[in-house]
Amino acid sequence: MDRRPTWLTLVMYVGAGLMAGLAVGPGLFLLIVAVQPAESAFFSVPTHPTGKNFVDAWTKGELAGPMLNSVLVTLARSVLNVLLAAMAAYPLARMKFRGRSTLFVLILATMMIPDQVIVVPMFRTIVSMGLVDTLVAVVIPFSVSAFGIYLCKQAFEQIPMSLEEAARIDGAGSVQVWWHVMLPLAAPTLSTLALFSMIGAWSELLWPLIVLQSGNKYTLPVAVNQLLGQFADNPRLPYAAAVMTLVPIVLAFIAAQRFLKPQMFSGAVKG
Amino acid sequence: MGQRWFVPWGFLLPAVSVLGVFFVLAFVQVGYYSLTRYTPFSADGPRWVGLENYRRLLSTDRFWWCLLNSFLYLLVTPAIIALSLLSAMVVEAGLRGTRSWLRVVLFLPVVTPTIVAAIAWQAALAERDGAINSVLRMVGLGGVPWLTEWPWTLVSAMLVTLWKGFGFYMMIFLAALLAVPRELKEAAHLDGASRWSVFRHVTLPSIFPVVVLVFVISSIAALKVFEELYVTVKGAPVEDQTVVPLIYDTAFERGDYGLASAIGITLFAVILAFSLVNLRLSSRRSQEAA
Repeated sequence: MDRRPTWLTLVMYVGAGLMAGLAVGPGLFLLIVAVQPAESAFFSVPTHPTGKNFVDAWTKGELAGPMLNSVLVTLARSVLNVLLAAMAAYPLARMKFRGRSTLFVLILATMMIPDQVIVVPMFRTIVSMGLVDTLVAVVIPFSVSAFGIYLCKQAFEQIPMSLEEAARIDGAGSVQVWWHVMLPLAAPTLSTLALFSMIGAWSELLWPLIVLQSGNKYTLPVAVNQLLGQFADNPRLPYAAAVMTLVPIVLAFIAAQRFLKPQMFSGAVKG
Repeated sequence: MGQRWFVPWGFLLPAVSVLGVFFVLAFVQVGYYSLTRYTPFSADGPRWVGLENYRRLLSTDRFWWCLLNSFLYLLVTPAIIALSLLSAMVVEAGLRGTRSWLRVVLFLPVVTPTIVAAIAWQAALAERDGAINSVLRMVGLGGVPWLTEWPWTLVSAMLVTLWKGFGFYMMIFLAALLAVPRELKEAAHLDGASRWSVFRHVTLPSIFPVVVLVFVISSIAALKVFEELYVTVKGAPVEDQTVVPLIYDTAFERGDYGLASAIGITLFAVILAFSLVNLRLSSRRSQEAA
């Protein structure tokens, strides 16, 4: 290809700048509102930044518990999503058994059901299990997803059969093959799945809102949602709470961003 | 392979029980509830009423308004496709100084919890002193009631959907753009094709299936939208919102599980019909292309 004409390069730089601004703008805006003293004009250049709003939101909003709950729920959901999806995907990718293709279609079909449609019987089931108002109830229904199983199945199918056969000749059983051959070789996909589960779990609002009832069980988004409209004396507190909800997941994402490769998406796309 | 019958099922058991109980069984239950009168106060559980809920549903304006709004909400998909494709093209161009971070930065909105996004966007869209209305007034236009009046309430939630979603679809487009064979583009260029016609006649046709895919995924997501509306335009009456907020309102505010389930089944039918039509159309397209 020829060199890109200068004007096009300029347009692209401007576009890149605008898009990056659009992406980080709202977060920066939250931060600017949150670091100013309560009495200064709401939207202004922060000349005297302060951490007081964060301290107040943390103590008055009682956010320590929700922060811990969110971390626990997010960790549990990420680990379980990877583990259960990788387990289910192995026989679907590599074993012959009756009902395999029907089962896979059925699993994929669950993707078409909007979560919100089945929230009532989901809630009834949680009630009958006696799990209302527990963190376990937040985790269990979303501890595996059809999307995750699909992603892992795709990854396992890429692994050469010969590696599995070699392990079997050395006397490995199915569990050992799964653990020592499949999982390590599918690690990039599993990491991507963990990243997506983490993002989804940290942000989830509807389901925890329905199954959690007491303040000390709340996850962070639920706690922040309850915080809105309170604290009329300092409208900056919800902004401070929002920043504190945003920062951990952004840091975790940046630490894990090398697992965010476009190739992972092409795997998900080809089908 | 000669493994014993229980080996595959052992691996499948945990995932299948979770999906079976919480999705498949729950879905069957929704189908049953939709044919019953069922409230949180029904002491003896759901009571069979046949198609009564569906009749009520079709004769209430609230439902039709919400369904109409759900279809209006689909207008967000062209915007999502345009913005995510454009940003994928800019990222793919690999401008000096942006290579390492642009992709990651554009993904940040996807990572942002909806509640956090909503707090920021509410402030930007606030009627009296919001950033967007301040700008509109500066250029001599009147303020817009973004958070209180239909259809602006829908537009506001669509802005949040667009903002939170475009980075995700950008990655899908980026994968597709990177997969377009370089030689194909170079050959077209050597034949004297301009940049535009290389894009139009080489790049676009080869990523077309992915455009369809993004269209389908983002449309289904738009039909299922809940959180953006729930947190961004909390105050708006439910008939100014879409179908899923109506389900939430009917089930958890009004306690009418039967009617809520009927709405849920109807929405599922709409999504299913939409997906099947698209699948049919796109497979015909690719057959024609082949």
